[in-house]
This record gives sequence, C-alpha cells and structure tokens, in this order.
Amino acid sequence: MQLWFHNENTYPFVPQNILDAADSVRASLPGRLCDPKIAADLFHQCMDESLLCDDLGINIVSIEHHAGINSLYGASPIVLGALARQTRNVRVLSQGTLISIRKDPVRVAEEYATADVMLRGRLDIGFVKSGDSEMASGNANPVGNLERFWEAIDLITMALKNQDGPARWEGKHFAHRHINLWPRPYQQPHPPMWAATGDPDTARELGRRGMVNSVVLRGIDGTKKAWTAYREAREEAGLPAPALDRFAYAGFVYVGDTDEEGVEVGSKLLWFLNTSLKQAPQFSKFLPGRMPPDMAPGVYRTKPRPGEAPVARPADALRNMTAEQAIQRQIMFAGNPETVAKQIMAAYDTLGGFGHLIFIGRSGYLTHEEAEKSIRLLAKEVMPRLREATAGAVTTP
Amino acid sequence: MIATERLIIHGIDLEVLRGGTGDPIVLLHGMRSLTSVSQFPSLLAGHGAVIAPACPGFGESRRPADFETMYDLIHLQRALLDTLPGERITLAGLSFGGWLAAEVAALGHPRLTRLVLVDPVGIKISDRETADILDVFNRSPDEVRRAEWHDPDRFAPDFDAMEDAEIVRYARDRDALCLYAWHPYMYNPRLRAWLHRISVPTLVVWGESDGIVTPAYGREFARAIPGARFETIAGCGHHPEIERPEELAALIASFVKG
Repeated sequence: MQLWFHNENTYPFVPQNILDAADSVRASLPGRLCDPKIAADLFHQCMDESLLCDDLGINIVSIEHHAGINSLYGASPIVLGALARQTRNVRVLSQGTLISIRKDPVRVAEEYATADVMLRGRLDIGFVKSGDSEMASGNANPVGNLERFWEAIDLITMALKNQDGPARWEGKHFAHRHINLWPRPYQQPHPPMWAATGDPDTARELGRRGMVNSVVLRGIDGTKKAWTAYREAREEAGLPAPALDRFAYAGFVYVGDTDEEGVEVGSKLLWFLNTSLKQAPQFSKFLPGRMPPDMAPGVYRTKPRPGEAPVARPADALRNMTAEQAIQRQIMFAGNPETVAKQIMAAYDTLGGFGHLIFIGRSGYLTHEEAEKSIRLLAKEVMPRLREATAGAVTTP
Repeated sequence: MIATERLIIHGIDLEVLRGGTGDPIVLLHGMRSLTSVSQFPSLLAGHGAVIAPACPGFGESRRPADFETMYDLIHLQRALLDTLPGERITLAGLSFGGWLAAEVAALGHPRLTRLVLVDPVGIKISDRETADILDVFNRSPDEVRRAEWHDPDRFAPDFDAMEDAEIVRYARDRDALCLYAWHPYMYNPRLRAWLHRISVPTLVVWGESDGIVTPAYGREFARAIPGARFETIAGCGHHPEIERPEELAALIASFVKG
C-alpha cells in the first residue's frame, strides 16, 4: 500500500462571526480577509511538510481549489512546479488541475509534461470533476461540465502521447490547430492517470479506461459503490479484473503517541467538514446541471413534504461530525500508531483492499508542528505495520 | 382557449401552446417556459393565433444532442416562422425569449410584420466592469427574488407549495437557460450593433420595477431599433406576463392592430 500526504492548505484565520454571516465561505469571501503574510507562512509550512514526506518515503498529493478558506491552492501548477524541483524521492500526484474550468487543455498537458520532466518521471496525473462554487470561480458553465471533463482528458492524453509533430484537435468543446509539446513527458506514453470520484457512473468510465479511482471522504459505503461500479464496468467490457493499485482510499489521518492525543488533535481536521464546506445555495442546491431535474423537488424544498423521506445530501451528512463519528464512519483514522494501523486495515479488509491510502494530514487549526509529528509517526510506526499486514496482497497486475 | 400540443420543426419535437384565431402571434418564453395554466397566453389568444413553443430543453421540449447554442435556437425559430400560414406574423419575446426574438428579427423574415420585446436581455450596454443583467446563476436566490418581482410574496415561486412536476419543470428550464446563456451572460456582444437591421414596427415593453434588467437598459435597447416604441408597465418587475398580464396583452393587442 502506497501512502500519499494530502494537505489542502486551508486558511482558517477568518473570524468566525464573518464566516457565520457569509452565505458562502468559498468563492465569495473578500480577498482582503486573506492576509498574504499569513498565506506566505502557510505555503512554506505546507511545502516543508511535503519535503518531510519526501524524506520519509510518503508520496505527495498536490491539489487545486479556488478562492476560499478551504484551500489556498488556486494556482495549482505553480505549487506542482515547486514540488517538482524541491522533492527528490517520492511520487507526486497532481489531483489536480481542474480541467473542466480551464479553457485550453493543451496548455494543461504542457504544464504536466514539464512537471513530469522536472520530476524525472515521478508525476501521477489526477483529474477532478470540479463543480459547485468552482464553477463561479472558474467562470465555467456548470451545464456540460462532465462532457468537458472527458473531452479534456482525451485531449490531454493525446497531447502527452503525441511525438510526431503538430497534431490537431477539433472536438466539441475544444479546438487546437497545433499540438506539439516540448518537452514531452518523461514517462511513456504518459504519466499514470487517476481521477477522484465517488459517482458510480464516472467510476464505471474510469474502470473501462483503467485509471486509478480515488474516492475522497465518502467512507466505506460511498467508496464501495464507486469501486463496485468500476469492477463491474471492466467485467462487462471483457477487461481483466483490476489490481489493487487502481484504487485509492482517502480520509483524515492523525497519529499521536497515545489514542487520546490522536483523537484530540485529529479532531481539528474536522474543521474542513464543519466550517469550510459552507456554500451559497446558488453554488450548490440551485446550481444548474448539478443533478438531474427529477431530483429537484427534494433538493429545492426547504423541508420534505409529509410522508416523504428527506433527500440525502453527502455534504450535509458530513457537517457537524464529532471525531468519534468520523472514526466510526471510517472517514478518519486517529489514535496511536497501532490503533491507526488497525483502523486502516479494517477499512482495507472491508473494501477488499486498496493500493493507495491518501491521508488528509493537516487542515484548519491543526498546526504545522502537529502535522509533522503525525507524518513522522505514520512513516516510522504505521507504515511498517501496514506493510506487514498487506504482505502478499497482489497490488499490481 | 389554450392547449398544449406537439410540433415537430426540423425533426425536433417541441411542446407548444396554441390558441386563438387570426394572424399568427409567436410567443417566445423567458427564463421559464410557459404552460397552459399561464394566464397570459390565453389573454393574447384573444387577439391572434398564438403559438408558443418551449425551446429545446425547456418544459417538455426534447433537446437534441449538441443543440446547445443561441445559434441553434435562432435557426429553429426561423424554421418555425417558415411553417406558419399568412402574411402577417407577430413575433413576441419575453426576457430571454426577447433576446431570441431580437436576433431573429435582426436577421429578418419576409412575413414578419411586428416585433414585441418584453423586458428582453441580449445586449451589452454598460462599461466592462458593470453588469447590465443581474446574474441569476451567481447571485443569492433572495437577491434575485427581490429583483425579479414587484411583489415577490405574491408571485415568486414557492417550492414548498409547488407540485413535484412543477419543480422538475422549473429545474429543467433553469438548466436549459444556463446552457444557452451562461457565457457571455445573457447577451450577444455583437447584437446591439445589428439591431438597426430590424425593419418591422417594434414595441418594447418594460416592467417599471424590473431589477433583472432595468427600464434604463430597456430605453437603450429600444433606441437601438429604428422607430421602436417604448412603454413601461407600473407595478411589475421582470415578468409583466405574470404580474400584469391584462395590461401587457392589451398593449400588444393595440400594437398588433395598429
């Protein structure tokens, strides 16, 4: 099992009364509320955490979100570039440039090819469907988002593979007359490709394409739905069963010296769910294209009609969760090294195994020092236990 | 007086409202499709043969794959005009449909004799840092509600009170509108320069309390169309067809007769 460190570089330092009064903590909070001096410290701390991972053999995830307290990584390729130069050992997963809000996927391919060369072939490319407030920040039509997502992936793949001089693309959403990357990617024909989704339909397409399916904060049930769809789609297409390295499970992780410390400090990670998910209704429930119109009655109404079950909203279900609930739902692993290893293996066994564990190791008010302590314990005390417990598992085809 | 029917234009299966007799009046809906329970199409049908198609994706009109631009809608509406009988066609458009009607009229049609635009969107007037049209996808639902209606408590949709089918239709309309009009938001950057090509008598009607597009925008819109008449209706916002249907129908009726 490969471990991946994931830190969204959150900015929790906006006064709570302002967050409470705002209809959205993403996309619309005025920029004056972000102190660039604090932001600079955060960027350097996060980079140092990544470099510590590089020393300890933990891979790194580089992410992208826009204009909110949930992440300062709007200019994702810049961060990836810094990681490309500063790390020396581990793999770096960009998960990823939000391709359906970028106007020119060829430019994205160029950025990824360059990063892969700088990394000497240590790049993994992850795609994220994006949505909600990102559609406003990215000025991208929310209707047709998924169609653009797949066409962009196809175009990026073609651009990365092309070695034969200028190629052309005249698709539905994108057109380019002269696709010819210099440098081409270090890995041939292109870096490994992932996508983050818990949506079974999207997971099916990942299965047919053989891409890695990461599922972020969906817990066991949500993850199982996606991976079952992935496996079924491959079987239906007559493709070989996927190896465990096609599956990545993502959750919060905090390792302390004791169970008490692990849970107490780890509970700070839940700030991400409890505070940073708040989005205005025009970016969420009323966003066009976000769900089939048939689902609108349950979503638009302020309350279910008598006798009707409330509509399940994944984001709502994550809010106001305690550490104990998060651990019980297996979206968080927290405790001493032995406890955390056991919790991870319980999820691993329930899901039939996975090749990658992405751990969200810092968020909200969890400090740089606390994050680094957990990373060290994870590398030195948890990783060997996981290795031992998963010895013999067939991870690659 | 008004019935819901199907009409196939260029192979596209459309939901249409039909009613009344006389010269055709093509009525293009706004941000929301019209239904047979809407009062306004019935009132208008007292003054001509009303035909009100739901644009593909709106209401119960199927949207063919890849049909997703104003360009498609303009061609479709011109194809629909071709199928109508008679030599005197009135084209009336509400809000988003006003934009579409203005595009069609600027291109011209041999049997088009009158154009009516009710609180239309579709052109750019202010400077590059000022939006002319309130962004119904990007602003809070409360702000949009206040801007859209003169009397929101009476007229704004109340999802808790609406039937499932009405909400599904509302959501379908919203998706379709977003598809066609997301970017640039609700306007064609080049349309204003071509509005002078409109060669038929034109009536531009505006709700005095419209906060989605203000009457000042409406005056500029009318000014760009040669000889256009500009009228306002008091006590109504972006939807004269809902807040003041009788007054709107009377204005159009006298204009069509004139």
